[in-house]
Amino acid sequence: MKNRYLTAGPITPLLISELMTLGNDDAGAGAVSVFIGKVRDDETDSGRVKAIEYSAYEEMVSGEAEEIVRIVRAAFSDVRSVIIVHSVGIVRSGEASLFIMITSGHRDHGTRACRHTLEMVKEKLPVWKKEIY
Amino acid sequence: MGVEVRILYFGAAQEAAGKSEELLTADNTTTLRTAILEKYPALAGIPFRMALNRNLLKGDSLLAENDIIAILPPFQGG
Repeated sequence: MKNRYLTAGPITPLLISELMTLGNDDAGAGAVSVFIGKVRDDETDSGRVKAIEYSAYEEMVSGEAEEIVRIVRAAFSDVRSVIIVHSVGIVRSGEASLFIMITSGHRDHGTRACRHTLEMVKEKLPVWKKEIY
Repeated sequence: MGVEVRILYFGAAQEAAGKSEELLTADNTTTLRTAILEKYPALAGIPFRMALNRNLLKGDSLLAENDIIAILPPFQGG
């Protein structure tokens, strides 16, 4: 991968546990808010979704993700770190494709910033999906 | 007239164009958009935006040699 906001394949439990240690050296962070997005096995006219293949404009992802982080930090002063990781490639249903983690001094800004980051990821990150049935 | 720029196609636009990239000649982004739609009629059904050198275009822009234009269907991350 060309940047730290993307990972090849699913966001595995091992990767999640590694990412969750990133705020451990900040004893002032009293709250850790996490969102994990997973692939659903939706039943569609084309059949049941077995997996999603994600693609991204990798060279543009970094700039957009950094802009999201900048906006979130400006909007929520209690936020201490923002981690965003999205999958590219094939992610099977039941597996995770998006990880967002906010560390903050207290719960209020953390949980709100987490939701805000999620909405901006969907709006701004140049990522596309193709369902596999 | 015009300059040669590199076009990148993503998501559904890649399928509509049948390729991930190519070189085209144009002098601004509006004429380029028209040329791309004429070349790939299937793109007309996709409400795509364009990025110039990794930045989303908000209006028309002149093109320079070696600019990179990305054809971006609606984002679907998450």
